[in-house]
Amino acid sequence: MVNYLVRRLIQMMLVVIVSSMAIYFLLYLSPGGPLAGLGGESGSRQSKVTAQDIERISEYLGLYRGPAWGYIAWLTGEDWMDKIPQALWPKNPLTSEPISLQLSACRENDENCGHGVLRGDFGYSWQVARGSAVGDVLLSRMRNTLILMVGSTLLSLVVAIPIGIFSAVHQYSRLDYAFTTFSFMGTAMPVFWFGLMVIMVVGGNQAPIYKLLHLPYLPTGNVILVRAPLAGSLELLMSIKPGTWLDIAVHAILPTLVLSLSYMAGWSRFMRTSMLEVLRQDYVRTARAKGLRERAVIYKHALRNALIPLITIVVFQIPGIFGGATITETVFNWPGMGFLYVAAVGRTDYPIAMAFLFISAVLVVIASLLGDILYTVVDPRIRFN
Amino acid sequence: MAIAELKSENLTTVKQENQIVLIARRYLKHKLAVAGMVLIILFVLAAILAPWIAPYPVYKQNLAPVYSNPSPQHLLGTDELGRDNLSRLLYAARLSLFITLLVNLTSETAGVLIGAFSGYFGGWVDATIQRVVEFMLTLPTLPLLLFFSAILRGITVPGLPAEWSQALIISFVLIAFGWMGSTRLVRGVVLSLRDQDFAQAARALGRDKLGIILRHMIPNALAPVIVNLTLNLGGVIVLEAALSFLGFGIQPPVPTWGNMLQNVQQRMWEQPWLAFYPGLCIFLTSLSFNYMGDGLRDALDPRLKM
Repeated sequence: MVNYLVRRLIQMMLVVIVSSMAIYFLLYLSPGGPLAGLGGESGSRQSKVTAQDIERISEYLGLYRGPAWGYIAWLTGEDWMDKIPQALWPKNPLTSEPISLQLSACRENDENCGHGVLRGDFGYSWQVARGSAVGDVLLSRMRNTLILMVGSTLLSLVVAIPIGIFSAVHQYSRLDYAFTTFSFMGTAMPVFWFGLMVIMVVGGNQAPIYKLLHLPYLPTGNVILVRAPLAGSLELLMSIKPGTWLDIAVHAILPTLVLSLSYMAGWSRFMRTSMLEVLRQDYVRTARAKGLRERAVIYKHALRNALIPLITIVVFQIPGIFGGATITETVFNWPGMGFLYVAAVGRTDYPIAMAFLFISAVLVVIASLLGDILYTVVDPRIRFN
Repeated sequence: MAIAELKSENLTTVKQENQIVLIARRYLKHKLAVAGMVLIILFVLAAILAPWIAPYPVYKQNLAPVYSNPSPQHLLGTDELGRDNLSRLLYAARLSLFITLLVNLTSETAGVLIGAFSGYFGGWVDATIQRVVEFMLTLPTLPLLLFFSAILRGITVPGLPAEWSQALIISFVLIAFGWMGSTRLVRGVVLSLRDQDFAQAARALGRDKLGIILRHMIPNALAPVIVNLTLNLGGVIVLEAALSFLGFGIQPPVPTWGNMLQNVQQRMWEQPWLAFYPGLCIFLTSLSFNYMGDGLRDALDPRLKM
């Protein structure tokens, strides 16, 4: 057991290091990037950015170090890097003098040195929140993402599990067909379009639910907006103060429902398949044959085993809960992790994108270990090997 | 149920029935699958014939009727630059469907080959491939797709118009994350086939490994692969649309169903059709592919019926 865990932990660390290194190198070598478009056609007369300017920016961002040193600095920090022999330092392309691997801010004052991801320092944002520490930026988005993801995960499980059980127990019944249709629609539905349609019908004071039916409309986004609610909105009707938890909950209604739909569609199907498989097994027939009531057969014998595969879903929802819902957050202007990540990738804010992907990778390997351990706990037939 | 029907059918028809006719007949029983197929054929025809049936040139701007309502001149209205919405939808079908088909055919083929080799050779080859597959299946797909689309955005394929170059880049990224499903599927089938009598016989007759894999293993795994391919088509079309919607796919002014939804949010209540139709196309195509896959599963292999 201990042996197995140690081996797994070493494997996990290797996977995380290798994948983060691959991502770092890809970012570094890819066309585009923070310097793209600055010089225009290099050397063009119109360009107001000179070669020296580009040099300075590259020095400020640490790009001159190249991907290998850059990755090491990103991972382990740069405070120790003055101890590296000068022969290994990168050379200035204009003067061909060696440049220190430490950024100038770090050379001037030790307190400004990056400490590296391994010590919890993700560096500073380049674009989206220029100059702020990436860790702080991520933390500031964490709350919104947790509200959205935990809410819709729980809602989806609570709805999908009973639907799946019912569909399996009453296979080919009318309701089973109805649920199957629902699940087909849910999987085929593009979330962003569904979100737009929901906003169009019930969100905002232009929506028909308000204009035609005179019912209160729901907020569509801007959860962080602290403004008095407008006439006709649900917040005004319930006299909710902006910025309170109740206000956030009301804002979360639409994105949570939209996000849950796709989860429900997939998970109810998963649950149905799993339950059908168990119901076909010999021990269920035995239970029926010895005269147990059908309820006992299903809820005491079958359900317990049918729930085991759900471990995979729940466990791999952990990185999802951190990462947020990219599309839903964008449609509903929900400032969470997914929204932040889209902005960071779109605007070449590599430190934020790297931090997001690194933490996701760590959570993925933790989740898969957790899943394996949980399987052995609930099913003693599965052994570590 | 299905098995019982099959047997009685076999008993009553004495003469050998053509396999394809049998499959087609079983497929036609699935009403929604037939409806899906008809819809897909219509969409494909519309995409192919777009240059001839589109009422206006796709990039033609006409600033007089900006945001015009649906009218006899513009059946689905016009957008913010006065471009005809119906023409754009028709042209958008070309790229969306092309990417979907290219991605699925390539990734399924790759998956079939990798899976067959993995299953047939076993040992460390199999172990390595399976670890890679397991790892890739656990990765959060969408963030990585965004990441790769973003860093590959700057690349253009020489000799191609911009939109086809972008389409190839997007397809490449989607293929890179799309081969694992069929790999697992085929590996499973091959594992159960490779020690059966006919495979032993082929080996005894001196057939080489490649020949056995291509001639004996893969054809036997094709039924579930075709079903898997059809079911995946719907997923890929939604994924591609999502990338384009978020701005990481095909760039405007080239229309795709995804990027036509990009900036509709401001004018959504005045011009609801701008937001409605592109999404409806995505939804209907995806739903049709899913029902086609469902129908094919029932037709090709009744045992697979869920």
